[in-house]
Amino acid sequence: MAEDTILADDLIRQLISVGEVDLLVGISSQSNAIAASHAFHAIEQSFQKNFTRQRAVIVNVRGGDADGSDASGPVLGSSEEKSAPLATSLRTVHRVTADFSVLPSPGLALRTVLTAADLLRARACAMVSPGTSDLTPDRIANLLTPVFREKFDFVAPLYSRHKFQGLLARNLLYPMSRALFCCGIRELYSDEWGFSGRLASACLSQDVWHEESIQTRPEAWMAISAISNDFRCCQAFLGQRLQPATSPGPDIVEVFRQTVGNLFWCMESRQSTWLDCKRSEPVQTFGPEHELTSERTDLDPHRIFEMFRNGVAELGPILSSILDPETHAEINSIVASEESTFRFRTDLWVRTLYDFAASYHHAVINRDHLVQALVPLYRGMTYSFLMEHADSSATELEAVNESLCAEFERQKPYLMEKWNAKIEVKS
Amino acid sequence: MRQTILQGLEQAYGNLVHMIADFLPRFLVMLIIIVLGLLVAFLLKYILRIVLSVTKLDQVSEQAGASGILRAAHLPSMTALISRSIFWLTWIGFILLGLSVLGVASLQEQISRLFQFLPEVFVGMLILFVGLMTANFLSRAALLAGVNAGHRSARIVSWSIRFLIWILTISMTLEELGVARQTVISAFSIIFGALMFGLAIAFGLGGQDLARKALEKYLGDTPQKEKDKEPQPL
Repeated sequence: MAEDTILADDLIRQLISVGEVDLLVGISSQSNAIAASHAFHAIEQSFQKNFTRQRAVIVNVRGGDADGSDASGPVLGSSEEKSAPLATSLRTVHRVTADFSVLPSPGLALRTVLTAADLLRARACAMVSPGTSDLTPDRIANLLTPVFREKFDFVAPLYSRHKFQGLLARNLLYPMSRALFCCGIRELYSDEWGFSGRLASACLSQDVWHEESIQTRPEAWMAISAISNDFRCCQAFLGQRLQPATSPGPDIVEVFRQTVGNLFWCMESRQSTWLDCKRSEPVQTFGPEHELTSERTDLDPHRIFEMFRNGVAELGPILSSILDPETHAEINSIVASEESTFRFRTDLWVRTLYDFAASYHHAVINRDHLVQALVPLYRGMTYSFLMEHADSSATELEAVNESLCAEFERQKPYLMEKWNAKIEVKS
Repeated sequence: MRQTILQGLEQAYGNLVHMIADFLPRFLVMLIIIVLGLLVAFLLKYILRIVLSVTKLDQVSEQAGASGILRAAHLPSMTALISRSIFWLTWIGFILLGLSVLGVASLQEQISRLFQFLPEVFVGMLILFVGLMTANFLSRAALLAGVNAGHRSARIVSWSIRFLIWILTISMTLEELGVARQTVISAFSIIFGALMFGLAIAFGLGGQDLARKALEKYLGDTPQKEKDKEPQPL
């Protein structure tokens, strides 16, 4: 059993004292103590306000303090408070702490929460990360309610965003995953999501937890597992995503490794699912499906274009080993065009991505290098998007996104052909 | 006089017959060993080719960048190269074994020396191959990192890394083979030292501003403007 191997005795003791629960919220306290404290408060308020009759538990997964501060914050920091129940109107909210000597990876944190959910027979669960969003009681409720009341198994978040924020998700992750896995979940890569106890048990039983892709970003794999095994998926609007439209955020190469690399890995490990899937199905959404804002930003399109042009020129030999010769020739021809007239056509963009996915499958070069080689091309697409849609409204952008999704679906046979082709090794 | 000549001829003929009678069986044994070696080598090559195809070595080699090096050197695929090398090594081994059966003293000495030298050749080839692969991998990693960070001199850095590892690899290979050991070490030290010294002077004198900017950037005194002006990907 999984819990035999990963749960510490202390944690098992705490879980036994809790008994069965209806709701479980997992929290990974990798951020600062203030944010963690705020998150606990929001979760407790959400339980008191929306689930007064339900048995609930918060599972706090925390590691040795890397920055010298106690990551669990003042609420759960003291040992006498650990595992102590909180008085609410009708039920008690239990708190359980899973301590690790070092900061657990997102994969290990999720596995711990899933194991706890499985052991406590939780019906509805949510995973939240206090450091990356402004957690409110309503956000927690929006993630738990579809599972608890509507019997969904996976709840992906939806956010209100700036129109130039999340372009990797908008132009690559969402349309590609939708075309491949036939399920239009917009935010596959997010730090908060909801799931059922049923799905938790199904995911726990899979032998993938040692994989690096699962260790770094387990959420997309969980969503794709739900889609592949016919679990019911939906999306819930959570409000504003608290990020500036521009960086500083994580390094773009690291983001590509964790998301695009992860998506390619999911394609590899779930190929029987997507090769058989024909047409994408709409996903039920609670709240508005998309909300875009358009304040002024200090983006530097010229710099982005220069990095694209320079990247394509410098990485020529690498790109030629990844891309189809025709695709590579077309990219070289658009690189030569004037900056003011430059456009990255959607059909070329889709073909480029499918070439990368097929090359990842055939491992034509080191896979990490392959994912990194996509970054300059993404910059080209980003520049083209910024130029074309500087004045576009939210409705227009949604229409553009729909046509991109359709293009991904139209060219899917091209990917399947490339994917199934025998690799040619010159001898 | 006539008798002496006849005796001489008879003795020479006898010696020749004796030599032929002595040599012919050895020669036949040598031929048998060589033919047997050829068969064994063919068999090994065939088995190895099947095993390597099943283990998808070519795919792994492609992924590790080794196939690229082989293509650049106009060599066949990894599976073909290994199976052919094993074929020739096996057969050459049998040929040498066969030759030693002939019992030619000077030849035996040379063969013995060759056998002693073979492990060094093998290790040398291994060092060369691993070195070239490492150079390929690290230079590509440096190129990708440089390009994605927006550095204009990414290719120069990448080629410098490749060049340095090549020099190191070639020096190590020659040293392993024992070819002009002292000269190679001295040459490597001089080239490497001169390169580093040249770079230090060029960076310190010619690129003071660049050095300051780079240090400021990496020590975090100034905001990373380029990074700040890209849209959030997620």
